[in-house]
Amino acid sequence: MQQYKKSQYKLILVLVGLPARGKTHISYKLNRYLNWIGYKSEIFSIKGAQQNNTQLDQNIDYELEIDPTNQQFAEVRQQLSFTAAQELVSFLQSDGDIALYNGLTSTKLDRQKLKSLFKEKLKLEYQVFWIESICDDPQVILNNINESKLSRFKDQTIEQFMNYINVLAQNYESLENIENLSYIKLINIGKLVKVHMLEGYLCSKIVSFLLNLHANNRQIYLVRSCQTEYHQLDKIGGDPELSITGKQNSQQLGDYFIEELKGNKNITFFTSQMKRGIQTAEIVGDKLGIKALKTKNLDEIDYGICDGLTVKEIAAKYPKQIKERKANPLEFKYPRGESFLDVIHRVEPIIYEIERSREPVLIIAHVAVLKCLYAYYHCNQINEIPNIDIPINCVIKLVPIPYHCLESRVIIK
Amino acid sequence: MQDCHKSQKIALCMVGLPARGKTYISRKLHRYLNWLGYNCKVFNIGNYRREICGTECDKSFFDSKNEQATKARNECAQMALNDLINYLNSDGEIAIFDGTNTTKERRNMVQCSLLQQCQNVQTLWIESICDDADVIQNNIRLTKLNNPDYVSMNPEDATKDFLGRIKMYEEVYQKIDLDENLSFIKLINIGEDIQIHKVKGYLLSKIISYLMNLHIYPRPIYLTRHGGSTFNQENRVGGDCDLSQQGIQYSEQLGKFLLDEFPTQEQRNQIHCLTSTMKRATHTADIVCNILKINYLQLKTLDEINVGICDGLTYTQIAIQFPEDFAERKVNKLTYRYPRGESYLDLISRIEPIIYEIERSREPVLVIGHQAILRCLYAYFHRNEISEVPQLEIPIHAIIKLTPAAYYCEEIRIKIDPETGERKQIEEDLQITRINMLTKKKSYILL
Repeated sequence: MQQYKKSQYKLILVLVGLPARGKTHISYKLNRYLNWIGYKSEIFSIKGAQQNNTQLDQNIDYELEIDPTNQQFAEVRQQLSFTAAQELVSFLQSDGDIALYNGLTSTKLDRQKLKSLFKEKLKLEYQVFWIESICDDPQVILNNINESKLSRFKDQTIEQFMNYINVLAQNYESLENIENLSYIKLINIGKLVKVHMLEGYLCSKIVSFLLNLHANNRQIYLVRSCQTEYHQLDKIGGDPELSITGKQNSQQLGDYFIEELKGNKNITFFTSQMKRGIQTAEIVGDKLGIKALKTKNLDEIDYGICDGLTVKEIAAKYPKQIKERKANPLEFKYPRGESFLDVIHRVEPIIYEIERSREPVLIIAHVAVLKCLYAYYHCNQINEIPNIDIPINCVIKLVPIPYHCLESRVIIK
Repeated sequence: MQDCHKSQKIALCMVGLPARGKTYISRKLHRYLNWLGYNCKVFNIGNYRREICGTECDKSFFDSKNEQATKARNECAQMALNDLINYLNSDGEIAIFDGTNTTKERRNMVQCSLLQQCQNVQTLWIESICDDADVIQNNIRLTKLNNPDYVSMNPEDATKDFLGRIKMYEEVYQKIDLDENLSFIKLINIGEDIQIHKVKGYLLSKIISYLMNLHIYPRPIYLTRHGGSTFNQENRVGGDCDLSQQGIQYSEQLGKFLLDEFPTQEQRNQIHCLTSTMKRATHTADIVCNILKINYLQLKTLDEINVGICDGLTYTQIAIQFPEDFAERKVNKLTYRYPRGESYLDLISRIEPIIYEIERSREPVLVIGHQAILRCLYAYFHRNEISEVPQLEIPIHAIIKLTPAAYYCEEIRIKIDPETGERKQIEEDLQITRINMLTKKKSYILL
């Protein structure tokens, strides 16, 4: 993503908040997003530091010390938090762009120490942005515990865990303006948001991203537009209409979604501005009784000079380009056309829309575009994008849950 | 993207003491939302008050203890609100209620009226809070002294009276409280602190992102086309050709011009230079930034309009090969989309992130772009109607400097001769005269 905005300085995102406030969830989502848009980003946490330290007992969770009065636990935790910070510094000193820190940050003193550590050890320009998650809605906290923590605590009851959090809360100090930090406070999953001293392109983007997050686990359906005559001729690109088979398949898609969506008309429904996308969406939409939003952002990748040619013709006419593409499929740009990186950039507003939506999302688009969307939810590295398999007549259903994304695929016959 | 996002009407209500930038924010929002294609209108309570009660109102008119005046002011607010509700119930999509709305009572009245009388409306309250005396003083100087309220007073008396007016409002001011249960955004000291409560939905999220980036630093925006290219000389469209000899010369002269505009290297280092990924623009940027010793950013979003199947043809060839398209384009240049290419409307949608980026930037911005793209950017900052975009004049080998002022953009156009480097300020053309007329006459009237 060299041509897109690369900050002149490194960025550190520090998470603050009591347990079961969604810090880990936020850090995972942010990390995934930042890597997807082309930054080299990584999370540094107590848990991570523990996993790297083979001398420690991996069965004990030092991130959530079970007994607050256990001095030894507290010391190990301090040490791990410090180790994570040091690993973060090494990462940024080399080729890392953005680092997320999920360690000891609950008191003013902790934060002061962290700031000093960065100042002392980081020998380049950097910016720190603090992200605090606050929650006083017991139902939300309970949900968070159920979805994420309980699997790690087999012998703890929820009640014990809540009590433990209450004890921690007594020493917890929320971010204050007097600390002179640039921050965002997300209160009750973004119902109330406070931003202080926001600066810079990347932080503005991150704030916009965070404003859209919510805790609804809704389904996302990714589907390719149906068959066209170009498919039959093995041509790529172009703006062909659906073939007869394509229209039939669209009808079957529509039937499938009638069952899946069970009459929900509030879904977020997008398609591209290409004829095959619009036609597929019209047929499906008619069956469901809803209209799709047409956006040029979902148009297929621009094949430039290769547009409308068959695969064989391209191999014959542009062998040099084929070689280049094999060598670097992600960054390869079709002459007078686009690369996958361009498509990612183009499709970013759609990701915001998907994230913001609390209702199921249905996207009818095209191969390259769907690879990029799919990668946002499933891939850890964008290098994998060109190899993702997005078959035709197949509905890919993604359900993002904390720390993962469930996936199922259904072939429509 | 806005075709089907228009299901709900939106009412944006301002809150804040006088001289806190409410009208400034209203107008910026109005500009932005119109730009995105929404029917948007501002309803300014002050204008209603001036029409009904006259313009010679001194600060005692705003005293909350002055019963008669308070009644008159409430009536004016009610009239403005009624017009706003009628607008939303007909073809209006977004209405901006520009007034102080400084008491809970007033806000409650407005909120209830909107929810009861408008079909399907979403409201967002925008509160601007400022306690920096210098900023307030500057606001007064820039925007109030030209106001019809003070036409007969000298600046010192006017300022004194206006500060007195602010004090009247301060006595009854109640900031938005969480228990009023309103969707709001509070902008404190020009974005130093921002608070957002209960904001949901596509358009409101967009408005919030836009508001978070606003500031009042008067940084200049330089727009220039790339130096003349070989295609320009042949009158061809599209393509990805390189600069002509003249184009290279222009780029060098442009670099020298900017050296004079920014005398110190420190100032030059602040320049935010953006260009496209096309050869002719990148080559121009290379030369210019080499002279200035700064970096530039290449953005595909700034690439020239995609002319699809007409790529590489001259206008004459297009007229011969695609006569229907050629005719269609002449009739409706704004919406006409080149087959397998783009329309001006697509462009407007495409450059939205650039507009955010320029708005956000507090440093000088230099855009080295292409004709169609620059028409769109220029029109946004100069508040042209979208219908005018395809006809705007963006001459080659000239640089346009826009400096955003209180309610409009100051403009200077300088033609630079590629060979001699002679700089000539281009005379005011009809375009600029129209804008000057607009701003002088209309800076305090309903938009």
